[in-house]
Amino acid sequence: MSNTPETDDHAATATADDTVLRTEGITKRFGGLTAVNEVDVEVHEGEIVGLIGPNGAGKSTLFNCITGTLTADEGRVTLQGEDVTDWPEYKIARAGLGRMFQETRIFGGMSVRKNLLLAAQEGGADIGGLLRRPDDSLMERTNELLEYVDLGGLADTRAGRLSFGQQKLIEFAMELMAEPDLLLMDEPAGGINPTMLENLIDYIRTANDEEEATIFLIEHNMDFVMEIADRIYVLAHGERIATGTPDEIQNNQHVIDAYLGRE
Amino acid sequence: MSTDPDTSGLLRSILPPKRLDRLFDLCGAHGWKLIGAGAVVGALPPVFGLREGYMMTVLSEMFLFAILALSWDIVGGQTGYPSFGNMAFFGIGGYATAILVKDAAVSFPIAMVGAVVAVLVFAAINGLIVLRLRGHYFAIATLGILLAIQQVTRNLDITGGASGKILFDVPPGIVFYYFFLAVLVVEMAVVYYLTQTRFGFILNAIRDDEGKATAMGFNTTYYKTAAWMLAALFTGLAGGAYGLFNTFLDPQTAYNGAWNVELIAMALMGGTGTVAGPVIGAFGLHTIIEYVESSFVGWQLVLLGVAIIVTVIRFPKGVVGTLRAYANEMDYYERGGMAATDDEEVTTDE
Repeated sequence: MSNTPETDDHAATATADDTVLRTEGITKRFGGLTAVNEVDVEVHEGEIVGLIGPNGAGKSTLFNCITGTLTADEGRVTLQGEDVTDWPEYKIARAGLGRMFQETRIFGGMSVRKNLLLAAQEGGADIGGLLRRPDDSLMERTNELLEYVDLGGLADTRAGRLSFGQQKLIEFAMELMAEPDLLLMDEPAGGINPTMLENLIDYIRTANDEEEATIFLIEHNMDFVMEIADRIYVLAHGERIATGTPDEIQNNQHVIDAYLGRE
Repeated sequence: MSTDPDTSGLLRSILPPKRLDRLFDLCGAHGWKLIGAGAVVGALPPVFGLREGYMMTVLSEMFLFAILALSWDIVGGQTGYPSFGNMAFFGIGGYATAILVKDAAVSFPIAMVGAVVAVLVFAAINGLIVLRLRGHYFAIATLGILLAIQQVTRNLDITGGASGKILFDVPPGIVFYYFFLAVLVVEMAVVYYLTQTRFGFILNAIRDDEGKATAMGFNTTYYKTAAWMLAALFTGLAGGAYGLFNTFLDPQTAYNGAWNVELIAMALMGGTGTVAGPVIGAFGLHTIIEYVESSFVGWQLVLLGVAIIVTVIRFPKGVVGTLRAYANEMDYYERGGMAATDDEEVTTDE
């Protein structure tokens, strides 16, 4: 990997039809501030891709433009080959985009089990699906997933009563239940203790290895992202300044300068 | 302000949390039977001779308010959108029935069908607009709709203007007693069933975090409007029958803002987001209001205000919610932990 900011040779080596997410020239301005400036990214099937950068680099804004939470001023977002730039957020999610939030967002007034049942896509949005009670197979899968993340004993506890780390696991289990084509994770390692962090790395790796989950994640914990990501994009001041493997990024002078405030 | 359930030794010895939790589990598992048993008990008084008079009217009104409180809770409690305009559905249902029965000379059942159609159309149109608002804005918008529709009704000839409509040749009181009971039982069954379905889960998800629900792929406006229309359906049915039950309908009665506050208080006191809570709240508060109205004329609104203040300060979860929080302490006993309030975290598994 060279230090040239715009080189994206790793993404280019992937075949065109396995691209799950592609953004082209995404730009988002807030008044006079350009939060994201002509950013291109690609995420391919089965990849774990990291998105890093100093605070205020535009990472979460880029995520918000991808998910439809914000509408980009310029550029295009393509999900599984379909242009979703102007789609509403719920429709993009239904098209196969999952998202875990930085501050962890689950449904605190509902039981842990109901959180997972809600995430399952089997129910769909048709009247029949909406008015059916969860069947045995769905309940079984919910129980399996809760056992998998060590929360089986808390299935009927109100989710809002659990600790932050446990809520993070619930949110992750909800995404496993939903099986999105692409999962966006905003700082998954934030605010959780080292033991749980190790568990989370295992869960993400297993989901990627065994379920071929495709993941695009923002992270400030460099050890975490360098350990888990196949490729990394780096943003600074709203612009993409580098992309490459974790080893390449660690030795990239643009990145080092950006983190030290020289760019 | 405390949300800590009563942890006094007396309550603990009479009703230990574990036993109450088992009772809740039992109620949850046999919900259909409980609703059925409630229907049978409700149907008994006329069988044993209570077919007219003051008590008959009071019981009918209790069923009526339970319908209204449970309807309010579909949107206010289950979905987290507290409306101050539910009485608009009540008034439209009432006037549609009154006009059809009196002016178009159609039968009561057919008039009710007409009332339901009118209410659903109204709810669909205004729901798609006001349900895009949240929190205070939503509450004020619904109040605005209630006041606007009241004013429109006051200025129309077909509704009898400010004088309203007097209705003759109405069915006997026992018909309305059983009508209100039947609507309440059906509504409880519908809400009970929905709370176990994906639709019910989505409503609760909207209540807890609408942004997250949207990010999960749910078009929340669609689900909120469906809930709004369901609430309108039952409120409209109640309103449709009320005009005839009362033999008189005017804008002040049909779009009664004080009643709207009353039914919110009922849901809050009983416990929002539950099936039994609003019904218990309606029975309890209406009984108290009736007593105060007959014994201390003019003081019922003062009592209502005090009841709301005490409830939101001391029992914000209502009767059912407070008891459930108390019962759930067993979670901690089983883990060997300390008794804790509902707002504290469980950290034992971390």
